[in-house]
Amino acid sequence: MTPLLKVENLHQHFKISRNFTVKAVNGVSFEIYPGETYGLVGESGSGKTTIGRSIIRLYNPTDGKITFDGKTISGKLDDDTNKFLRKNMQMIFQDPMSSLNPRKKVGEIIGEGLDIHKLYTTAQEKNKIISEILKKVGLSPAHAERYPNQFSGGQRQRVGIARALVMQPKLIIADECISALDVSIQAQVVNLMKDIQDATNCAYLFIAHDLSMVKYISDKIGVLHLGYLVETGTTHEIFNNPIHPYTKSLLSAVPIPNPILEKKRKSLTYDVKNFNYAAGTMHHVGGSHFVLATDEDFKIWN
Amino acid sequence: MNENLILSVENLDITFKTNAGNIHAIRGVDITLPKGKTVAIVGESGSGKSVTMKAVTGLLDSNAVINGGKIFYHYDEKTVDLLTLTKKELRRTINGQHIAMVFQDPMTSLNPTMTIGAQIMEGMLLHQNISESDARDKALELLNLVGIVDDEKRFKNYPHQLSGGMRQRVVIAVALANTPKILICDEPTTALDVTIQAGILSLISDLQARLGISVIYITHDLGVVAKVADFVNVMYAGKIIERGTVDEIFFDPRHPYTWGLLSAMPDLETDDDRLYSIPGSPPNLLHEPIGDAFAARNKFAMKIDEKAAPPMFKISETHFAATWLLHPDAPKVEMPEELRKRIERAKLGSRE
Ligand SMILES: Nc1ncnc2c1ncn2[C@@H]1O[C@H](COP(=O)(O)OP(=O)(O)OP(=O)(O)O)[C@@H](O)[C@H]1O
Ligand SMILES: Nc1ncnc2c1ncn2[C@@H]1O[C@H](COP(=O)(O)OP(=O)(O)OP(=O)(O)O)[C@@H](O)[C@H]1O
Ligand SMILES: [Mg+2]
Ligand SMILES: [Mg+2]
Repeated sequence: MTPLLKVENLHQHFKISRNFTVKAVNGVSFEIYPGETYGLVGESGSGKTTIGRSIIRLYNPTDGKITFDGKTISGKLDDDTNKFLRKNMQMIFQDPMSSLNPRKKVGEIIGEGLDIHKLYTTAQEKNKIISEILKKVGLSPAHAERYPNQFSGGQRQRVGIARALVMQPKLIIADECISALDVSIQAQVVNLMKDIQDATNCAYLFIAHDLSMVKYISDKIGVLHLGYLVETGTTHEIFNNPIHPYTKSLLSAVPIPNPILEKKRKSLTYDVKNFNYAAGTMHHVGGSHFVLATDEDFKIWN
Repeated sequence: MNENLILSVENLDITFKTNAGNIHAIRGVDITLPKGKTVAIVGESGSGKSVTMKAVTGLLDSNAVINGGKIFYHYDEKTVDLLTLTKKELRRTINGQHIAMVFQDPMTSLNPTMTIGAQIMEGMLLHQNISESDARDKALELLNLVGIVDDEKRFKNYPHQLSGGMRQRVVIAVALANTPKILICDEPTTALDVTIQAGILSLISDLQARLGISVIYITHDLGVVAKVADFVNVMYAGKIIERGTVDEIFFDPRHPYTWGLLSAMPDLETDDDRLYSIPGSPPNLLHEPIGDAFAARNKFAMKIDEKAAPPMFKISETHFAATWLLHPDAPKVEMPEELRKRIERAKLGSRE
């Protein structure tokens, strides 16, 4: 099987001023197969959103190659490729308020993509599609008449989810898409995403910081730190045999919903100064499990 | 009135006017915040958590109508009902210096055209007698405290140049700049990874220990609640339906909605391939339910649930729940077996 998305050696840098360039993403490579969910985790500022935005081409990658469904999408996009990309790849944005047009009703916002790509024949059908998707994300058809600012944070986040899902794309980049939802609605949305995946074989790049949810939804996981992919593998490999000290510290810090345990717990600390990521290369641990390390480090950790 | 309280919301009632009709979003909410303590508000998305706290800070949307209620703030031996103050009075005397709020959506509270450094300094220069350069030093220190390294360079960044979690931390820094007496955090760590989240939570609890700040957390992250909260309020459809100490809510929940909420938590210990979610959807508050708003989704619902909203039944001095199941005449109903086992496991796990 060929991967749906292939990211090779992606670099994304931002020049802020003459003497300050943020190297947000540094040589990241991974693949996502159709029907698969790839969870991207890592600390705040590690480059997760940037990777998503580079893939969907909100940024021009500084370097590297991105292939989507057999087409190269990292260079200049011709009209056909651009159109193909807009229909088949959707992003659910981390900050729902700034990604929803405040002057449009939610029904119009969700219908926009349907209009552009003519995904219905009658107005009636369009309304039906919109009502259905609103119900599926736990909102009601009446919500189509409201404006984004008239929603709660979690309701707004679900508008963003509905807007992406309604297009039935091949790949959805879901950036912290359930972080503002209560656990019951998180479960509803995640179950819905799984059902849609079973039905349409779409793939997800699932960006999140909540490791218990990532564990639950992902087939594979990539751990990002300071713009470097420090470890990647199947969910089982990462959770049962984490190799990189950063991954270990991340796993040790997951809050446990138990007030007694939680109040006496200590997490592992991690000091990045002991590592030079740029000097490391990807080492094969086994299966699809890889870790970024120097040869010496790899010997010690393994 | 309890003299240990710093804030008490009493019988708050709010409606939103919309094209489609009036939405009765807050239907008689009581919340108390004891001085120096941490109170969490959890509950269904859309249940009214943010709106309640926006009412405290006087920042309700313009289509909101306050039908009734009081919000008492007790300080320096004085008590004011914040609802009697104008927006201007709130801004001049209370907001920022006494009560600071971290909003759920960081982009809406940051000014996109101003550097983050200037935004952190702004409140200090307004409310404190402080020189520009001292304010700058303090702002840099705050950035450092919320875990933004390269603080000198970041100082001159605009909000869009930061990651989602960094923006969230800038908003926290702005809120802490004037060391408020009450800090209200609306989903302060949703966009933060666990390590940085842990840092922010301990920063806030340090401040609490050092300066006696009182904190209200709105969060759906029950792990965070377990870590920081002394008391928990569970909200559903515009009402508080259960309140208690954190141990009472996690280990002895009584309301069927709370049962559902706790059951829906993903469990790192198990490998289930489907998550539990509470069946059905919340009531549409355009058409207010007559009886218990949770009845339609409650498999233990009784006849009376369709006729009358349950009052708060007392379970202990600190623990209350609004469900008819607690009425002396109600049949005895136990929490779902799965949840009971899970709580047993949790209790055992905590006793090593
Ligand atoms: N300006 C508004 N106009 C109309 N309805 C509103 C407005 N603001 C909020 N609402 C409604 O009021 C209810 C309560 O909203 P609130 O933001 O308090 O929810 P919440 O509990 O904070 O939810 P979340 O966890 O999703 O943030 C929701 O049903 C929401 O749609
Ligand atoms: N448009 C931009 N201009 C300048 N710098 C940027 C821009 N977008 C992102 N950055 C920087 O790139 C780095 C990575 O940011 P990114 O948003 O990808 O992080 P993230 O992993 O998504 O973090 P979070 O979990 O906080 O959302 C950060 O240092 C950020 O400041
Ligand atoms: Mg991000
Ligand atoms: Mg809210």
